[in-house]
Amino acid sequence: MTAAVISQPAQPHQPAAAGGGLMRRLNVGTAVAGGVILGLIGWLVAHSLLQDDDHGSDQVVLVTLTCWAVGFMIGIGAFNGPIGWALGRDLRREDELFLAGKDQGISRYFRFTTDHKVVGIQYLVVTMVLFALGGTLAMLIRTNLISPHSHFLNPQTYNAIVGLHGLIMIVATIIMVTGPFGNFIMPIMIGARDMAFPRLNALSLWLIVAAIPTLLSAAVLGGIPTGWVGYAPLADQAPPGMDSYSVFIIIFAVSSAVAGANITTTVLTMRARGMSWNRTPIFVYGTVASVGLAIPAFPMFMASQILLQVDRTQGGQFFVASGGGSPWLYANLFWLMGHPEVYVILIPALAALMELTPVFSRKPLFSFNAAVISIAGIVGLSVMVWAHHMYASGWAPDLNGPFMLTTEMISVPTGLLFLVILGTVWRGRVWTTVPMMATYAMLWNFIIGGVTGIYLSDVPADYALHGSMFVTAHFHYTLMGAGLTGAIGALAYWFPKMTGRMMNERAGYISFWLVQIGFNVTFMGMFAVGLAGQPRRVVTYAHLFATGNLVSTIGAYTIGIGMLVLLYAVISSWRHGDRAPANPWGGKTLEWTVPNPIPLENFEVMPVVTSDFYGYGEEPSTGADGEDAREPVHAGAPAGPAAAVVAAAPVEGEL
Amino acid sequence: MSVEPAVADPPRRHSRIDYWRIGWIWLALTILLVLFSIWVPTRLMGPPASPTMRAVESTMRVFSIAASPVAALVWAVAIYSLIRWKSKGRPTEDGPAVRGYGPVTITWAAVSTVLCVFLLIWGLAEMTSVTSAAEASNPLVVNVTGQQWVWTFSYPDEGNVESDQLYLPLNRPVVFHVTSKDVIHSFWVVQMGIKVDANPGVTTKTSVTPDKLGTFDVRCAELCGLRHADMETAAHVVNPADFTTWIAQNGGHT
Repeated sequence: MTAAVISQPAQPHQPAAAGGGLMRRLNVGTAVAGGVILGLIGWLVAHSLLQDDDHGSDQVVLVTLTCWAVGFMIGIGAFNGPIGWALGRDLRREDELFLAGKDQGISRYFRFTTDHKVVGIQYLVVTMVLFALGGTLAMLIRTNLISPHSHFLNPQTYNAIVGLHGLIMIVATIIMVTGPFGNFIMPIMIGARDMAFPRLNALSLWLIVAAIPTLLSAAVLGGIPTGWVGYAPLADQAPPGMDSYSVFIIIFAVSSAVAGANITTTVLTMRARGMSWNRTPIFVYGTVASVGLAIPAFPMFMASQILLQVDRTQGGQFFVASGGGSPWLYANLFWLMGHPEVYVILIPALAALMELTPVFSRKPLFSFNAAVISIAGIVGLSVMVWAHHMYASGWAPDLNGPFMLTTEMISVPTGLLFLVILGTVWRGRVWTTVPMMATYAMLWNFIIGGVTGIYLSDVPADYALHGSMFVTAHFHYTLMGAGLTGAIGALAYWFPKMTGRMMNERAGYISFWLVQIGFNVTFMGMFAVGLAGQPRRVVTYAHLFATGNLVSTIGAYTIGIGMLVLLYAVISSWRHGDRAPANPWGGKTLEWTVPNPIPLENFEVMPVVTSDFYGYGEEPSTGADGEDAREPVHAGAPAGPAAAVVAAAPVEGEL
Repeated sequence: MSVEPAVADPPRRHSRIDYWRIGWIWLALTILLVLFSIWVPTRLMGPPASPTMRAVESTMRVFSIAASPVAALVWAVAIYSLIRWKSKGRPTEDGPAVRGYGPVTITWAAVSTVLCVFLLIWGLAEMTSVTSAAEASNPLVVNVTGQQWVWTFSYPDEGNVESDQLYLPLNRPVVFHVTSKDVIHSFWVVQMGIKVDANPGVTTKTSVTPDKLGTFDVRCAELCGLRHADMETAAHVVNPADFTTWIAQNGGHT
């Protein structure tokens, strides 16, 4: 679909913004400088005042890292708006356009830029950096486990790497869909010109950027020796790397709250005229479900880390049994976040696949209502299942039965999502592009992840399997096999819109097969050793598990090579791939109606939606549906026979 | 290409042969998966050393068998769609405008609900059976203490004999009182299928009736610090007479 629909008057010329002002000189360089300077000041002050205390080193680390983050946010300009208001100044129009990155070329990607498209690209890059870091650590872990006593890593390094790998990957998977695609694509998909709160959008991104160095500082502060869960009281006795973990989580929780409020408000209030809930694309539902679920979940994690910091720096005893505290308190707070979080990761990835499957099957989404109800059901149930992670903890054994019930119930809505996808490809015209192959890979992987989850939901079976490699394999099948696969599918699908270029198809296929085959080899091996009794997070293991671990390591290297191919495909295609037409796949959602490159405010004229976006195989404008007054205006679709039923009609030309 | 209004009847044309072919693929995959379910998981888990582990292994087998037709159906339709409905390159026409078919959705939801209820009932029954050892009249009590990075077992009713390896008499119910001196550990007797966390400050319980002679593995299943991987020891299941002897040799009495 080309830009034909949308009349394209030249951008009204904005006079060059008068005056420079501090705001215009801030970028990631000043942010790092601000972080380092304030961090150093914090360190000097804390070091001179606090070093003799029992908890001195933890206090110094906490103060230093907090100062770094505050300094970074000052340096990037996050506080300019609030300070301006406090001084009675509001932003002028040209300030806002500057903030949105107008006419700034590449440098807008290194600033506190409010344009949702810039934020989306920034999130994509941050996600890829996190995956590169976490993936490298995974390669180190698997290299160490290549043989029972490889001595490649010493136990301290190994534990630190396991913790960092887990946390980096969890954060990367949390932001991998709602970050890049929820920010870049979703507002266009609903026909909005930006997010509801563009500055909060930039804030959520830069908070994560500020937080990543605090997490990585753990590597030089003794590591995170607790695994990604950070269970107390092991966390109480851990080295200062644990403070890095806490600060990171607290900042990340703020970021996710900000992003959640922003995305939720955007979808609730800024959908195009005519986009009723039954015409809202399923990906929008997935995004809102994910961030909406994060809103109650992450404060739990944040609270646990605040209590942990009181323990570690002030001698509080929240999680120390000898002082009247309870390790189970930590575990509960953690999993109150931890289980919703699984669906924070999964739902948007599955929703992205449900969004692209109709496009590549040339059929309407099967049972749209069932898909929406299922997502709602998963969201509702997912806050009531957390203690299935604690069957074997000894906490409240009487609750094991009820939690088994809620956990197993969640398989019903999840199962319906399979039907939605199968019903969509049924008798379709299946176009096996890389995004569509991701859907098929998800069908394979997520069945395995789901069925193994059913074993773990069963209390006695969980007693046998909890804490073993079986669990590790299970959640990699869900979060990576379904989640990350969905995110890669989403990337391949929206790459032409986000970068204006087609992704190298050949490299995409090679990467797809390497990653998927490597993935299944890795985690099948891990299932085997888990069933045979290998615990998680061990640096050495019995000879009995040698074969399975060798298989896993070979598979992991294959994933690593496949991911490098994907990285090559992304970078090379981004730089000199073929120019993408506005609608390369023949999709019907609104993001395919805007031209490449996308204008600053997306739509010259605001679209009016007269139908949903899945009308494949249907005559446009039949008006079959009485109350649905479809306008005869419809977007021409030269890219394919799929005549769009969505009408982008000029209603308000004001920019 | 048929053009249907928004809510279409399921297209019947050319579909009978599709149903049959999918049916055959489904059947073949189901048989393969059922065979896999019967043999593989329990082979990997090894011979059970207690009724608890036997129950776990039968759960694995039964759940796998129950899941087989579901997984096989999903994969059969997916595979078939790639063979039969794959478009060579970019599709030049749309598929049928099927927006849903109520009976299929309802059947799908109903069958998965029934399966879910079955899993739940099975699980509850199994929970009752594996905790029965705890209700036996004269169980052997063993206090298990985890500390970084060793296990200590003591036998309070046998004169507080202490050991760093676990000795259990054959066929006598055992109740473990598990605690920790420092951080959370998890007491796991692999081949007996029991596990409970060792938490500082509280005592948790688990129970089992060992019914196989031999030496089994006790491992820590919760990351507990530097030498977590080495926190393992042996569980010896011996004849009652040998157990009495072992207690006596270690200064205890039965």
